[in-house]
Amino acid sequence: MEITIKNLNKKYVLEDRTIHALAKVNLTIPANRIFTLLGPSGCGKTTLLRSIVGLEMPDTGEISIGDEVVFSRERNIFVPTEKRGLGMVFQTYAIWPHMNVFDNVAYPLQTRKLPGDEIRQRVAKTLRFVQLEGFENRPATKLSGGQQQRVALARALVAEPKVILFDEPLSNLDAKLREETRKELRTFLSELKITAVYVTHDRMEALSLSDSIAIMKDGSIIEIGTPKEIYFDSDQRFVADFIGRANLIPGTVKTTDGPYLTADSALGEVSCRKTADLPIGAEVTICIRPEFLQVSKAPPGEGRNIFNGQVANLIFIGEAYEGEILIGETRLLIRAEATENLNEGEQVTVHFNPEHCPALAR
Amino acid sequence: MKKSRGVLTGSLIIIVGILTIAPVLMLILGSFSEGLGSFGTFTLDKYVKGYSDAAFGTIIGNTLIFTLGTALVSTMLALFLAYLNTRTNIPFKFLFGVISIIPMMIPHILFAVSWALLLNPSNGIINLFLQNLFGLENSPFNIYSLSGMIMVEALLELPIAYLIIAPAMAAFDVSMEESSKVCGATQRRTMIRITLPILRPAILAAFTLVIVRSLASFAIPSVLGMPGRIYVLATHIYRTISTGFSADYGLAAAVGMSALIASITLIYLYRYLTSEGERYVTISSRGYRPAVIDLKRARLPLFAVVAALSALLILLPVLVLLYTSLVPYSMVPSMKAFSLMSLKHWMAVLKDPISLLALKNSLFLGVVGASLGVTLSIFVSYVIVKVRSTASGVLESLSFLSFSFPGIVIGVGFMWFFVWTPLYATIWALLIGYIATYLPYGIRPMSSAFVQIHSHLEESSRVCGGGTLYTLRRVIIPLLIPGIVSGWILMSSMFLRELSLSVVLSRPGTEVMAVQILRFAEDGLWGRLSALGIIMILISSTLVIAATLFGSWQARLKQVKD
Repeated sequence: MEITIKNLNKKYVLEDRTIHALAKVNLTIPANRIFTLLGPSGCGKTTLLRSIVGLEMPDTGEISIGDEVVFSRERNIFVPTEKRGLGMVFQTYAIWPHMNVFDNVAYPLQTRKLPGDEIRQRVAKTLRFVQLEGFENRPATKLSGGQQQRVALARALVAEPKVILFDEPLSNLDAKLREETRKELRTFLSELKITAVYVTHDRMEALSLSDSIAIMKDGSIIEIGTPKEIYFDSDQRFVADFIGRANLIPGTVKTTDGPYLTADSALGEVSCRKTADLPIGAEVTICIRPEFLQVSKAPPGEGRNIFNGQVANLIFIGEAYEGEILIGETRLLIRAEATENLNEGEQVTVHFNPEHCPALAR
Repeated sequence: MKKSRGVLTGSLIIIVGILTIAPVLMLILGSFSEGLGSFGTFTLDKYVKGYSDAAFGTIIGNTLIFTLGTALVSTMLALFLAYLNTRTNIPFKFLFGVISIIPMMIPHILFAVSWALLLNPSNGIINLFLQNLFGLENSPFNIYSLSGMIMVEALLELPIAYLIIAPAMAAFDVSMEESSKVCGATQRRTMIRITLPILRPAILAAFTLVIVRSLASFAIPSVLGMPGRIYVLATHIYRTISTGFSADYGLAAAVGMSALIASITLIYLYRYLTSEGERYVTISSRGYRPAVIDLKRARLPLFAVVAALSALLILLPVLVLLYTSLVPYSMVPSMKAFSLMSLKHWMAVLKDPISLLALKNSLFLGVVGASLGVTLSIFVSYVIVKVRSTASGVLESLSFLSFSFPGIVIGVGFMWFFVWTPLYATIWALLIGYIATYLPYGIRPMSSAFVQIHSHLEESSRVCGGGTLYTLRRVIIPLLIPGIVSGWILMSSMFLRELSLSVVLSRPGTEVMAVQILRFAEDGLWGRLSALGIIMILISSTLVIAATLFGSWQARLKQVKD
């Protein structure tokens, strides 16, 4: 079910400071996709999620889930949380400690007053789906973090809600379990074909899990796109910086040529891909991600975007090298194959494709 | 090293064992004996007599109504206050902190007396005032009743219940409630199915502890119950041993056994419930703290309720006592009353040799007793926290045992014990009894101080080149001082106002302040009582305020270091 958000505003007063948790948010969340709200902490993503579910009342605006308006300041509509028929997985899982697994998962069905037989069947089915078969009588206090997470998911899914919401559900798991659970969640959600809204500050999580991502900053949505669009094609410095490691180099447009341009920078002349209509002389930020920098010990060839430098520092991290190359006065973050056999202090050649090097308007 | 620790543990087990097991053992043996003079000749007479007494059924009934009623009222009040403080935007939240330390300042017996002065049926100030105002023939209130006793005891136990429930409420993860709402449950269903069940261990723990404390309570039943001939177990036992020539310690021991067993059982239930409550603490929310509930228009009325409760707890008792100490006899405050005020009662108390002796004795017990008690607590806590062997486990259980002793019952046990020693009827008997009964209150702050001293702190001092003594001086002692000071002040303020053990063990020459207050109350000397009471309140308030200031000074010191 599609979620439409219009003109949402919300202010907090916190110790004499006014915080715009939501600043004129307009957004359409597509049906049956995994949609992620990504941003640094305090950007308003959790407030937006809680406004959708009805735990937070925005100051102005309108929220519709499908055809139903669940909140409208102008028309004085506020459907209480319990009447919105949604599912949600909380950051702390909020597994009720005085109940066993069955009671936790059956709760949404019990509030809907379904017959006992049906409740048992549906709980069993859902527990099978999240691979917790046979855990029905386990007390909630005897579950591991990962198991609690699955119970929370089962509880959110069991009533077959129109929309399921996730508030940083993986942030309490350790790194290895987080990675496994992320993959599982992706599988579960794509099987279900359900509208999912997911809040996180972890870019890896957002990129690997989502069908589309909205980046939030200071209460506003500043960019929406597929993970690839966000990663490769963002035309904003904040997004490029936030979504991954990047070398951001200031430059000035020198010439333009169709989809490409050349810019003067501390590296010298750099060929870049245009992300906006930039006139000659415009100030730009050149964005090069470390993984697109090809480092080799072979002598420099001819062509665009080939620079000579020195390996300033190098860390071997197992599957690759991470380090910095000094070109003139500029340090570039790099990532090189483990087989490359680099050493600190060596002279190297750095090359990158203009396609992977967007120039962002400043 | 290991051997000396074993010796230390062993000798502490013997000392604490004598302090806690001996009175219980003597109580049991005494309950099967004919009397203090004929100890050891086995008889079941006292049990038969005690439990077949026609009045015993009424006493048990009164005790049940009194303890359960008190537990119900104070738990409900505590729940209400804790909710307001942790979950809403009620103003002046510091008042909640004040409420929780008040009863340490005002001894229970004085609290009871002040309510008797206000609401007794013959000349209670509020009663007289209402009679004059509405032209009533009879007093509208009678504090000398079970409901009166429950009301006053519940106010006194409110802070204990609050101190148990408020942290549980504060630790409550609000997303537990929110997820219930997302699942489609209404506010009411969420309250019944989620909020109350999760808080259940804390609520039951508070309820249980209040039952134990009101079962042991002697001040309220003696001041408010006995004038109306309403007896509970504690006052029944007191009656059995205080009727001059026919004091029957065997009977008192036999009856006391049931109170002791009930109390120990409930304390074990309480400990189980507290550990159950800790299991309920799951992952705590790190990021999002939802806004507190806005009380809107109810904000000020609800605050007025809290303010009224605080006034009932603090201002009223002190004002009533001050007023009564100055007027010649009970009267409604008026211009006439103010013109009759004098220091007559104060002069009488300050010239009364027994009152002065009681003051001296209490101060001695407060200073010397607390110092010895804290010294013992330091060693016991060290063994419990740092040695951690089977023997130290035994020591822990032993030292916790007296937490469940009703003062008057264990006093009877000590009576059977001291009568065989030269300590009988000396101040040292009281001192030993106090330390034995209140040891857990000294051990608690000391143990938490020792827990803070992680062995790495000690070890890193060694690695840095500090010897054993140097480490002790520079690392261990400075870290222990907050625990020592707060333990000393807590014990000292408890000893200064001790009543229920003292009424049994105090003899002519070893009077203490609380017992002297009780005597004044029995003789109806309200003016002198109030004057002595104000002196008592001044001493214990000074101690409590000193402790609070020291605590916040320590906290500030820590902040600076961080």
